[in-house]
Amino acid sequence: MNNLSELHLDALAEVFSIGAGRAALSLSEIVGDEVRISVPSVQLINAEDINPATLSLNCGQFGAVNQHFSGPFNAEAMLLFTEEQALKIVSDMMGSQMSLEELAEFEHEAMCELGNIILNACLSAMADILGFTLESSLPHYAVASANEILSRLRKDNSQPYVMVLHIDLAIEKRHTAGNLVFLLSSASLTNLVSHVDQFLNKLL
Amino acid sequence: MNDPHVTSSAKLNRGNGNNTEKYAPAQSGVKHFDTEDIANAVNIGLCVVNAAGKVLLWNDWISKHSGIKETDALNQPLEQVFSEQISPAFLSALKNSLTHKLPVVLSTALHRTPLPLYHEFELGIQQPRMYQSISMTPLRSQHNEPCCLIQVTDSSTSIKREKILRSHSEILKKEATTDGLTDICNRRFFDAHYEIAVADAKRQKYPLAIFMVDIDFFKPYNDHYGHLAGDAVIKQVANTLKLQLSRATDIVARYGGEEFVLVMPHLAQDIAEKFAEKLRAAVFNLAIPHIKSPSFHQITISIGVCSGIPEKNDNLLNKADTALYQAKQKGRNQCVSISLCETTEYLEQ
Amino acid sequence: MHMDKPTKKLLIVDDSKVSRMLIRSHILAKHPDWVITEAACGEDAIALVDNDLPDYCTMDINMPGISGTDATEQILSKHPSVKIVIFSANIQETHQERARSLGTTLVSKPVTEKSIALALDYLANA
Repeated sequence: MNNLSELHLDALAEVFSIGAGRAALSLSEIVGDEVRISVPSVQLINAEDINPATLSLNCGQFGAVNQHFSGPFNAEAMLLFTEEQALKIVSDMMGSQMSLEELAEFEHEAMCELGNIILNACLSAMADILGFTLESSLPHYAVASANEILSRLRKDNSQPYVMVLHIDLAIEKRHTAGNLVFLLSSASLTNLVSHVDQFLNKLL
Repeated sequence: MNDPHVTSSAKLNRGNGNNTEKYAPAQSGVKHFDTEDIANAVNIGLCVVNAAGKVLLWNDWISKHSGIKETDALNQPLEQVFSEQISPAFLSALKNSLTHKLPVVLSTALHRTPLPLYHEFELGIQQPRMYQSISMTPLRSQHNEPCCLIQVTDSSTSIKREKILRSHSEILKKEATTDGLTDICNRRFFDAHYEIAVADAKRQKYPLAIFMVDIDFFKPYNDHYGHLAGDAVIKQVANTLKLQLSRATDIVARYGGEEFVLVMPHLAQDIAEKFAEKLRAAVFNLAIPHIKSPSFHQITISIGVCSGIPEKNDNLLNKADTALYQAKQKGRNQCVSISLCETTEYLEQ
Repeated sequence: MHMDKPTKKLLIVDDSKVSRMLIRSHILAKHPDWVITEAACGEDAIALVDNDLPDYCTMDINMPGISGTDATEQILSKHPSVKIVIFSANIQETHQERARSLGTTLVSKPVTEKSIALALDYLANA
């Protein structure tokens, strides 16, 4: 139960690639240029096994957009970029000549919106394809160090599973990489797996 | 938390499914307030539309800033309520929120003025639209109809407040970032500024010039004339270097004891070399006597310059420092320039 | 309705096994007699088409190796008779334009009864 099969992961990867496509479409409408988002891998990890390398949390400060969602399963979703990347994304999205100091002023709100677009696209794709309804809180953005994020991920005993999606985002030829992390309880993971099973059973 | 809008909406939305209860009368006990009175009293715009896009709630704030009365808005399709256009991003966000029943935010940073809202209405005067932050939250009506609550806040005030906070913190920052003796930037400010300047030059692909400046034979000066005179020389040199800068983007900082550093964006190698010579001449022309300076008998400076468009691991500061070392080796009171693409090994041959 | 039509050969190109399974099951529900082959990348698809020419092909865009649009271009330049429909989660204008310029169409993922109906409609009438 704690392990997802290749087929489960493939199904989730397909779900999230559709989510990524939706997010890219919304973002391209905002930036007026092509935006590419891909999800090259999906992993399921025990929260206690998580280390800086799994999330490429090498150093410095990270910008994290959080949304809590509930439905057939509950989870905390967190989208992570390094703060430097976050500022670059905001600057690309605003397409402006602003100084980095001025950009920092908009970082908070603009990252909330970017995170909201990516998270909602992934959640809605999951809901549409796996056939359920999810509710979600509004996004919240915070800047934290790698250590703060790791201890946050490991601390919560009620959510021992972490689903990690690596996200590649390209706006106007600049590539950035981030991670989308879902914190799941055992019960929520079981529910998610059973929804994926139902979906797969229809195909066999 | 520098965005009260996001916090307050997050609170309103906690536990999401409970939204209906907040707007419906409490199940037990007496209802103390009329929900509409509350909606009209709050200092943000509230509007509810149903799945068909028709307006079900239009509070006083929205009326005031749109110039459209509640009676003219209710039961009308939102798109037709306004005489001006609503931004396409707003409409697709609303559609997404209604379709997927997920909350959506539109930031001022990326949208500015999605709705035709204004601060004041004065007849015949065309005003600029109000800057807005918008959030959309799925909601069910008492008839269990899926709806969307649109909250609008005026973000021109929060932008202003943020600017005030910033200028306040800049005053505080000034104390932490200024060198006490010379009143130019200190090492701490330089370290932070250098990193940002290099990152920006890398991204925008323009040449950045770094100048390392050192007062020649400073220790003998201090020993001969005393520390107070030494301090006065450091001040004079700092001031002279500062006077050569005319662009807002350029900075000079005290790097250490009698060492200074200048950061100048958009300066190619040849211009940087000329500028370094100007700096050297300016200090030379002060003609401060220094009898312990073996060759010049006055205060002089040596300068190392490096300019170029930084790439991945380029270290402008190290190269400028190497150039300064070479200027010292070659006899002081001169400038040596290293271009970013030259390798140091090559130069040392 | 498909009784009076000859059996068609369809090639499904998609790096996701689940996505191939989805397309296969939706199409077989409508056309149980079609012969379906699968490829997991553009390079395999080109080789398969050279070996055994299909009537139709569904093509994903984002795959390891060459992109689905590049594979489509190569297949059509050699075998203009193959009718190809591009299935992608990425439906931005640039991709739609590229699909049109190749003489194919782009159908938006997810793979559902509705999107399969659109794809089949295009293949039958292209």
